[in-house]
Amino acid sequence: MRRVTTAVVLSAAAVLALVLAGVASSSKPSAKAPAGGTKASATTLTVWVGWSARELKEFKKVVAEYDKKNSDVDIKVVGSINDDKIVASLRAGQTADVISSFTSQNVGVFCKRGAWADLKPYLDKDNVDLNQFPASTRQYTEYKGYRCALPLLADVYGFYYNKKLLAAAGLKGPPKTFAQLAQYAKKLTKRKANGSLDVVGYVPTFGFYQNTAGAYQPLVGAKYFDGSGKSALGKDANWQKLLKWQKGLIDWYGHGKLVKWQAGAGDEFSASHAFERGKLAMMMDGEWRVAFIAAEHPELQYATAPMPVMGAGTYGSGYINGTIIGIPERGKNRDEAWKLVKYLTTNDHALATFSNGIRNVPSTRTSARSKELKPDKNFAVFTKIFTHPKSATIPITPLGAAHLDTFQSFLAKWQSGKVSDLAGGLNKVDEQIDAKMKRAGGGPP
Amino acid sequence: MISESAAGAVSAAPAAASARRRAKRRATWRRRGVVLLFLSPWIVGFSVFFGYPLVMSAYLSFTTYDLLSSPQWVGLGNYRYLFKDDPEIWTAVKNTLWLVAVLVPLQVLFAFGVATMLARAKTGVGFFRTVFYLPALVPPVAATLGFVYILNPATGPVNTILDKLGIEGPLWFNDPGWSKPSLTLLGIWGIGNTMVIFLAAILDVPRHLAESAELDGAGPFRRMRWVTLPTISPVILFSVVIGVIAAMQYFTQAYVAAAVAAGQASQAGSVSTLELGYPEGSTMFYPILLYYNGFRFFQMGYASAMAMLMLGVAFLLTLLIVGQSRRWVHYQGAAR
Amino acid sequence: MSATAAAPGVRRKPPPAVRRRRFLVAVADHSLLIAAAALFLVPVVFIVLTSLMTTKQALSPRLWPEPFAWGNFVDVFETAPLWRWAFNSFLYASLGTLGLLVSSIPVAYAFSRLRWRGRDAVFLIVLVALMLPPQVTVVPLYVMWAKLDLVGSLWPLIVPNWFGDAFAIFLLRQFFLTIPQEYIDAARVDGCGEFRILVTVVLRLAKPAIAAVALFSILYTWNDFFLPLLYLSDNPDNWVASIGLSQFRSLHQVQWNLVMAATLLVMLPVIILFFLAQKAFVQGVTLTGVKG
Repeated sequence: MRRVTTAVVLSAAAVLALVLAGVASSSKPSAKAPAGGTKASATTLTVWVGWSARELKEFKKVVAEYDKKNSDVDIKVVGSINDDKIVASLRAGQTADVISSFTSQNVGVFCKRGAWADLKPYLDKDNVDLNQFPASTRQYTEYKGYRCALPLLADVYGFYYNKKLLAAAGLKGPPKTFAQLAQYAKKLTKRKANGSLDVVGYVPTFGFYQNTAGAYQPLVGAKYFDGSGKSALGKDANWQKLLKWQKGLIDWYGHGKLVKWQAGAGDEFSASHAFERGKLAMMMDGEWRVAFIAAEHPELQYATAPMPVMGAGTYGSGYINGTIIGIPERGKNRDEAWKLVKYLTTNDHALATFSNGIRNVPSTRTSARSKELKPDKNFAVFTKIFTHPKSATIPITPLGAAHLDTFQSFLAKWQSGKVSDLAGGLNKVDEQIDAKMKRAGGGPP
Repeated sequence: MISESAAGAVSAAPAAASARRRAKRRATWRRRGVVLLFLSPWIVGFSVFFGYPLVMSAYLSFTTYDLLSSPQWVGLGNYRYLFKDDPEIWTAVKNTLWLVAVLVPLQVLFAFGVATMLARAKTGVGFFRTVFYLPALVPPVAATLGFVYILNPATGPVNTILDKLGIEGPLWFNDPGWSKPSLTLLGIWGIGNTMVIFLAAILDVPRHLAESAELDGAGPFRRMRWVTLPTISPVILFSVVIGVIAAMQYFTQAYVAAAVAAGQASQAGSVSTLELGYPEGSTMFYPILLYYNGFRFFQMGYASAMAMLMLGVAFLLTLLIVGQSRRWVHYQGAAR
Repeated sequence: MSATAAAPGVRRKPPPAVRRRRFLVAVADHSLLIAAAALFLVPVVFIVLTSLMTTKQALSPRLWPEPFAWGNFVDVFETAPLWRWAFNSFLYASLGTLGLLVSSIPVAYAFSRLRWRGRDAVFLIVLVALMLPPQVTVVPLYVMWAKLDLVGSLWPLIVPNWFGDAFAIFLLRQFFLTIPQEYIDAARVDGCGEFRILVTVVLRLAKPAIAAVALFSILYTWNDFFLPLLYLSDNPDNWVASIGLSQFRSLHQVQWNLVMAATLLVMLPVIILFFLAQKAFVQGVTLTGVKG
C-alpha cells in the first residue's frame, strides 16, 4: 500500500511540475503594461512586421533610434509575420500593438470594427496632413472611408535585365513592348543538350517569383471591375490580349520544360535567385531587389527600366503596392502605438534611413526629396514609376485578395493548355468572383 | 395448522421482501453511481468536444460568421453556394474520393503483400520488419518534405538517376497528373502499421486449416484464396475502414507538399496569392478546402456547411463498407 | 509436411529436384523482400545524404555529399529554435498522453467489466466518435477557445485528452475484456470497491495494453500537425516540432540540407522510443487490428 502511495505522490508531483512548466511557457505575445500607460514604468510595445533576415535588421535599426529617443517605451519587434498570422491573431483576440503587412489588398479585411483601429481621431488630433502621402498610397490604406492604416514605404514593380547577356545576344537597350519582350526572350534562351532549359530569357508563367496577374494589370491597362462593381475580366479585351501573348510564349518554351526549370530556379529570397545567378536574363520584380543584389551578388551587371507595355498600357507606369501599418483595435497600448506609427510613417529621417536600408520607395512627398537618400541609378527608375500618373494598384475588396485566387486558379489551367475557350472561361471566372463578392457582402468601393 | 403457519409466513415475507428490495435498490443506485463516476470523463468530453461542436456546427452552417461580429442568419445561403456556385468544392470532393478509391486499396494491397512475404521469410525477419515499420514513425511533415525534395523534377536525386538511365522523369509534385500519385507513393511508404497488423493476423491463421488444404492438393494461391483471406477478413475490413477514415481526413501531407512544391515563401512576396491545391487544384482535398474557407478567408459559416456535408458522406461511406462487409467477412468462432 | 512413408525418427531428404525448387522459391521470396526493403530505404538514404551536404550542393543534382558537412547538425540549432520546439512537443505529448490514460482507463473499465443497462449501445456511440473527421467539429471548438482567450497556447491541444479518447477507450476495452473474470470476482469477494479493483487488479494485468496506448498517444501527439497549425500558428514561441519543420522551410529560404538535418533530428526521439519499446509497439499494433 505504501508503495502505491509513494508512486501516486511522485507522479502527482511530476504532473504538477509539468503543468507549471506548461503554464509558464505558454506565453502569448500581447503587451504587458496596463492600458494607456504613458508615464511610470516603461510600456512594452510589440510590433509585428513581415520582414525577415537583412531587411528585418534594417527595420530594427530605425526602431532602435525611436526607442533611444523615447525612454518610456520599450519596443519588441517580431519579424516574419505573414498575413495568415495577422488575420488569425485578429480573430483569436490576442494580438500585437502595431502590425505591418505586405499585402495591401487585405486592407478590405483589416479596415473594419474590431480589426484595425480607425486612425481618423489620431490623425485629426495630431493634425497629420494626409496629402503628404501620394494618392495611390492613400488608396490602399483605407476601405470605404474607414482609414485603418498608413503606408510605410511603397513597392513598385519594374523590369530588370542582365546587361551582359543582352550584349552577348546583340540586343540593345530594354524592350518597350510585349512583342519586343517575346522576341528578346527567345533570343536569350539557351537550352541544354537534352533539350531542357538552361538559361531562360523571360518567364511568362503566373505564379513564378513576382509574376502575378495583378502585377501585369497596369501594363495592359485592363480593368478588374466595371462601373457597377461587377468583375470585368471577360469584358475587358486587354486581359485576353495579355493572356494570348503569355500563352504563345509559354508554348514556345514548352510548358513542362518551363515548370521543370522553375523547380530548380532557386528560392526567391535567397542568394540562389535565378536572375542573380545569371540563369534568368530578364524579369519583372519589385524595387527591393536592388538591395538584395547589392548584398548578395554585387558583381552582377544589370540595369532596370519600366516594364514593357501593350494594349492600353502606358510606358513608364507600373504596379504599385506597399507595406501598410496599423494599430489593432484590441491592442493594449494604442496611444503609444500611434506615436510610433506616426514617427515611422511621417518622419523624413526615419523614412529615408529605412528606404536606404531596404531600398523601398519612400511613401511621403517630403521624404522622397530628402537629402539623406542615397542615390542609385537602378533604384531611381522605380521612384519615377512610382510617381507616374498611370501607375495603379489592385482595387480593395472585402475579400482581400481572395478574388484573385479564383483568377489565379483559372490562369493555372490556361497556362497548361487546358482551356480552349478563353473568353468563355473568363466570363465564368467573373461569375464566380461576383458570387464570392455577394457572399462576402459587397464589392469594391 | 399448516395454513395458519403458511399464512404467517406469507404475512412475514412482504416486510422482509420490501427491506430486501430497498437494499437492492440502494445497491443498484450505488452501482450506477460508480458507473457514472467512471464514465464521467468521457461524458464530459463527449458533450463538450463532440456533441456541442456538432450542434454548433449545424447552427453555424446556416449563418455567415467571421468571428469579429456575431453570426448572421442566412438560411440555406451557404448550402446553395456549396451546391451551385462554389468553383472549388467539386474538385475537392473528387480529389478526396480519388484517395478513397485509389490510395486506400493500394495501401491495403501493399501492406498485405509485404506481410505475406514476411510471413514466409525464414531469415532476418526482425530486420525486415523494422525496415518496413520505421517509415510509419516518421512525422508526416518530415516525410512529406523529404519526398518533395527527392522528387524535385529539376534537382532531385530520383530524376537525376532517371536522367542517367536515359528516362525523362515526370514532374512529380509539380505536375497535376502526377501530384496525387506522388502522394500515393508517400502513403504507401508509411504502411508500417497496417503491415504489422496483417503480419500478426497471417501468422495467426490456424495451421491445421492450411495443412489440410495442402494435403487436399491446394497450391499456394488457392490456399491464400480459400484459407488465408477468409480467415483474416476481419483484419482486412479493419484496415479498409481505418484507411477510408484517414483518406477523408487527409490534410497534412497535401498541405505541406503543395506549399513546398509551389515554392511559395510565405513571407514577403507581397502580391503572390496562394495557389490552392497546387498544381492546378490537383491537391485540393476536402479538409484542406474546409481549412482555407474557415481559417484563411474566415467564412466560418460556410466552413460549417462544408463540415456538415462531410459528416453526411463519412457516415454514408462507413455504413456502406460495414454493410457490404457482411458478405465477405468471417469471424472465427462464435459471434462476438 | 514430409513424405508419409518416412521411418520414425529419420527425416528423409527430399529429392534434389524438390530441394532446388524450394531453394529457388525461397530466394525469389526473399529477393522480392530485399527489393521492397531497398525501395523503402531509398528515401531515408537520400534524406540522410542531403542532411550532410553543403547548402549549394543540396540545390544541385549531385548525389553524394563532398565534403561531409557534419556541422549541419549544429547549425540547425543556431538557425532555428529546435530546443524550444522539442520542448513544446514534449509538453504536448506528455501532458496529453497522461491525461489520455488517466481519463480513458476508468471509462474502458466501465464499458468492459461493469454491467449496466445500455452499455453496448452507448459503446456504439463511442465508436461513432471515432469515425468522425476532426474537421467537422473544428470550427465551433476554435470559436470556443478563442472566446476563452486560449488560442496560441498549448491548452486547446492538451485539454481534450483529459476527457477520454475514443481510440484509447476502444483499445483498452478490448483488452480488459480478456481479463479472466476470476481475478475480478476474487477481488470483489475480498470486499474491494470498483476503484480498488481497477487499480490493483486490472492495471497490473493490463500493463502491455496501457503501454501500447501510451506509445500510440505519444506518437500521435508528437507528429500532430493539423491541430497545432490551427491553434499555434500566430504564436511562434509555442510552436511544436511539426509546425516548426514546415515553417523552417520558408523561414530560411530552402536550405534543404538544414531542413533535412532538422527532419532527422525531429524523427530521432520517436525512433529511439521505438527501439526501446519495440515489443510493446508491435504488441500494441497487433492488439488494435487483430482483436478489433
